[in-house]
Amino acid sequence: MNLDAKFTFKIVGITLMVIGVSMLPSVFVSLIYDTPAVLLSFLATSLSAIVLGRILLQICRHSLTRNLKIRDGFLIVIVCWLVSAVLGAIPFYVTGSIPNPFDAFFESCSGFSTTGSSILEDIEVLPRGILFWRSFTHWIGGMGILVFAIALLPSLGISGQNVAVSESTGPTLTKPSSKMTDVAKGLYLTYLLFTIIETILLMFGGMNLYDALLHTFGSVGTGGFSSYNDSVGHYDSTYIDIVITVFMLLCGVNFNLYILSLRRGFRAFWEDAELRLYLAIIAVSSVAICVTLLITQNYTSVKDAAVDSTFQTVSILTTTGYATADYETWPMFCQMIIFLLMLIGGCSSSTGGGLKVIRVLVIFKLIRRGISTRLHPHVVETIKPSNQNMPPDVVSAIASHMFLFIVMIFCGAFIISFENCDLATCFSAVITALGNVGPGFGMIGPTENFSLMSNLSKFVLSIYMIAGRLELYTLFILLTPGFWNSNH
Amino acid sequence: MTTLISFNYKAILRLLGILILLLGLAMVIPWVYAEVTHDVSGIYSFRRCAPITILAGAVISFSVKSYRAKFRPREGYIVVTSAWLLCILIGAFPYYLSDFTGSYINAFFESTSGFTTTGCTAENVMLSNTLLLWKAVTHWLGGMGILILVISILPALGINGQYIAKAEAPGPIFEKMTVRVSDSAKVLYLTYIAFTLLEFILLMLSGKMTAFDALITTTGSISTSGLTCHPAGITYYNSVYIEVIISIFCVLASVNFILYFYFVTGRQRNLLKDIEFRAFLIIILLGIFICTASMLITGECSLETALRNAFFQVISLSTTSGYLLSPDIIWPATCQMILLTVMLIGGCSSSTSGSLKVSRVLVMLKLIWRGCIKRIHPRSVVAVKLGKNAVSAPVVSGITVFILTYMSILLFSLLVLSFQGLDFQTTFTTALAMLSNTGLVIGPTESLVDFSSFHPLLRLYLSGLMIIGRLEMFPIIIMLTRHFWGKAR
Repeated sequence: MNLDAKFTFKIVGITLMVIGVSMLPSVFVSLIYDTPAVLLSFLATSLSAIVLGRILLQICRHSLTRNLKIRDGFLIVIVCWLVSAVLGAIPFYVTGSIPNPFDAFFESCSGFSTTGSSILEDIEVLPRGILFWRSFTHWIGGMGILVFAIALLPSLGISGQNVAVSESTGPTLTKPSSKMTDVAKGLYLTYLLFTIIETILLMFGGMNLYDALLHTFGSVGTGGFSSYNDSVGHYDSTYIDIVITVFMLLCGVNFNLYILSLRRGFRAFWEDAELRLYLAIIAVSSVAICVTLLITQNYTSVKDAAVDSTFQTVSILTTTGYATADYETWPMFCQMIIFLLMLIGGCSSSTGGGLKVIRVLVIFKLIRRGISTRLHPHVVETIKPSNQNMPPDVVSAIASHMFLFIVMIFCGAFIISFENCDLATCFSAVITALGNVGPGFGMIGPTENFSLMSNLSKFVLSIYMIAGRLELYTLFILLTPGFWNSNH
Repeated sequence: MTTLISFNYKAILRLLGILILLLGLAMVIPWVYAEVTHDVSGIYSFRRCAPITILAGAVISFSVKSYRAKFRPREGYIVVTSAWLLCILIGAFPYYLSDFTGSYINAFFESTSGFTTTGCTAENVMLSNTLLLWKAVTHWLGGMGILILVISILPALGINGQYIAKAEAPGPIFEKMTVRVSDSAKVLYLTYIAFTLLEFILLMLSGKMTAFDALITTTGSISTSGLTCHPAGITYYNSVYIEVIISIFCVLASVNFILYFYFVTGRQRNLLKDIEFRAFLIIILLGIFICTASMLITGECSLETALRNAFFQVISLSTTSGYLLSPDIIWPATCQMILLTVMLIGGCSSSTSGSLKVSRVLVMLKLIWRGCIKRIHPRSVVAVKLGKNAVSAPVVSGITVFILTYMSILLFSLLVLSFQGLDFQTTFTTALAMLSNTGLVIGPTESLVDFSSFHPLLRLYLSGLMIIGRLEMFPIIIMLTRHFWGKAR
C-alpha cells in the first residue's frame, strides 16, 4: 500500500469512528421508543462502523507525519463526506425504513449537507430513532464534520489551515484568533450554545424534548428535516414560528462574527458589509412578500402574513427549508422572490448554503467596476466588500465559482429533464440541491417531495447536494487530471 | 459640485441627422410598395412618416457643419444609445399611424422587435404586407448594426468610428480586419448583402415562394430575427428545401463575419480552424442529436418528423432567430432544456445573432477550468487561451463582467415579469427570449411569439430588454450610472 492510499484509509477510519459514535444518541432514542428489531439493526450498524474504523486506523497508523499539501486537504474533505453520506444511509436501509438504497443515500446526503429535501412521503410512520438520526445528521453536517476534524486532527499532527479552506463555507476565512483549533472550538461553543438555547425555548412553546431537539437540529444546522409531514406548520403556533425564525436567522450569520464580537462588541456585527446586506435582503423580501400577500388577499390578518412571509423568507435564504405555508399557492411575484433567495443563500462561514451573500456582494461590485473600466479603460480599481480590499485572486475565484454554479445548474437540469417534468421542477430541483435549500417548485414544492424522481435523478441530486455543501470546486476538482498527477 | 462634461454635441448631432435621413430613405421602400399595392392604411402612414423623416434628417445633417471630431468611449456609448433609441422611436410611427395598433407602446414594441432582430409581435393580428416589409427592412438594418452601416458608407464623416463600432458590434472584441474601421464596416456589409442576395435567389428557386415572401423570409433569417409572412409560419410552405435553406443561412449569419473576410482574402482557408466556429457547430450538432433522440424516446413521432423538427428548431434558437416550425408540438422536457440552453449561448461574435455568444461561453468554461488549477496550485499563473491565442486579461475580465451582468439582468427580469402572474417557465423563457433577441417563448404547453397578453408597462419593459440585449447591455447601463454623467477625468 502506498502512502496516499494508507493516508486515505486512515481518514476513512477516523470518519467511520466519528459517525459511528455519533449514531449512539440515536440508538439511545431508539432504545426508548422503537421495536427491538429496529434498535438491534441500528446498534449493529453503529458498532460495526466503530470497529471497522478502529481496525483501519490500526492498519494505517504509520502513515502520517508529513505536511499536508493542498491536494490532501481536498482529498480528506471529499472522502470524509462521501463516507459519512454512505454510512449515514445504512441505518435507513438496514432498519427497513427506506427500502430503496438510492433513496437512503439521498436522504443521508440531504441530511449531512443540511439540505432537508426528502424522498419520504409519510414521515410520521418512521421509527423515532431513525427520525432522530435523520435530523442529527443535520446537526453534524451543520458545521461540517470536517471542522470537527479541525479540533481533532491537530492531535494527529496535521495542521488544519489547508483543510479549512476547502471545508468552511464561503470565500474567505477571517481568522478571529490566531490558531485554527481555537477558532474551531469557538465556533463549536457558539453552535452548542445556540442548540441548547433553542431547545429550551422550543420546549417552552409546548414541544416535548424529542420534537424540540429534532427541530433545533434542523434549524441550527439550517437543514430543514422535521418529524411531521406538515413541517413546522404542524404546530400552528406563532411562538414556535418566531423562535425557529430567529435561530435560522442567527445560524445564517457568519459564525466568526460571534467570536469577534466577544472582543470588539456590537461593532463587529455592524461593520460587516455581508451581514448588513443579509439583513437588508431579509427585510426587503419579507416586506415585499407580506405586502403582496395582503394586496392579493391571500391573507386577511396582517400578523399571519407578516409571520408567514418572514418565516418563509428566512427559511429559504438561510437554506433551511422549513415550511409553515405553501408558497406555491402565493402570487408569482412572491414565488420569484423565493426563487432568487434560494440562489443567494446565507453568509459565509455560516451553516447556510447557496451562493453566499458575500459572493453576491462581490459580483455587484465587479459589475460596477466593469462599468467604470469601460469608461476609463486605464483606471485600476480594487474590490472592497467591507473596508478592506479583496485580493484579486479571491475575486477571480468568486467569478469562477459563479460560472461553475451556472454551468452545473444547466448540466443538472438537463439530467433531471429526463424525468420529462416541467422546467421549473428541473431547475429548482438542481438549485435547491446545489444550494442545500430543501424544497423547490413544481413537482417538488414545499408540500411535495422527491419520491417521484427516478434513481438516476436522485443519485445526481445527492451528489449535487454534497457538491453544493463543499462549495462546488472541492468536488469538481476530482475531475481534473492535474489532481491525480502528483508530479504536477 | 460636479459639472456636466461637454460632449462633441455637434458631431453627435450630425451623425444622428445622417441616420435619420437614412431611416427616411429606408421608409421609401415600404411606401412605394404601399402605393403600388394600394394599401390604404399603409399609404396613409408612410405618406406622413417618410417625407417628414427625410426632411428632418436632411435639415439636421446639412445645417450642422462638417466637423472633425475625435470620439472617446463616452461619446461612442452616447451615440450608439441615442441612435438606437431614435431609430426605434421614429420607426414606431408607421405602425402607430396605420390601423395595426392604437397604442404607441405596441408600436414601440413592434419597432424595437424590428430593429433588435427579435422578431416577436405585440398584437395577435398579422401585420399588413406594407408593415411587414417595413419590419423586414428594420430587421435588415438592425441585424448588422445600423451605425456600422453609417460608418461604412460615410468614411468621410471625419469621425473615428472604432468606439462606435465597439459599442455596437456584438461580441467581446471588435476585430479590425483592415486598417480603417470604415473599411472593416464596409466588408461586413458587403458580406451581408451578398448573403442576402444569395438566399433570396435560392428561396425563389424553391418555386413555392413569391418574390415578396422570399424577400421577407430572407431578411428574417439573414438578420436572425425570425420574421415570416404567414400566420402559420414556415409550416405554410411545407417544404424541406425551404427549411434547410433558411437554417443554413441562419447559421451562416450567426458565424463571425470576419471569418468570411479571411476566407475570401485567403488569410485562413480552413474555417474549421476557428475555435469559436467549431464550438458553434458542435453545439448545434449535439443539440440536434439530443433533441431528436429525446423526441424519439418520449414521443410517438417518426424519425423523419423528429429530425426535421429538431434540426430546424435547434438552429432557429441557437442562432437566436426564433422561427417556429410546428406550433402545436409539445416538446419533451429534455428538448426544452436543450432549446433553452442553445438560446442562452447564442451565435458567434461579430455576427447578427444575439445572446451570450459562443466565444464568451468558451472563455467562461476556460475560467472554470482555470479555477480548478488555481485551487490545486494557488500560485500558478494560467493564461486563458482560445485556440492558440491567449485572451488578454482585460478582455477576460470584460467577459466575466458581461456574463455576470447578463445573468443578473435575467434574474431581475424574472422578478419584474412575475407581476404578469404567468407560470415559472414562461416567465423565464420570456425574459431570455427578449434579452437574447430570439423572440420565441417555449412554454410548457405551447410556444408563443405574440406578447399581446402582457400588461402595457411590462411590454415597455420587454422592449427595454430587447434593446439592452441587442446593444450587449453596457451602452445602456453605462448611461444610467452617475459615473457617466460625472466630471470628466
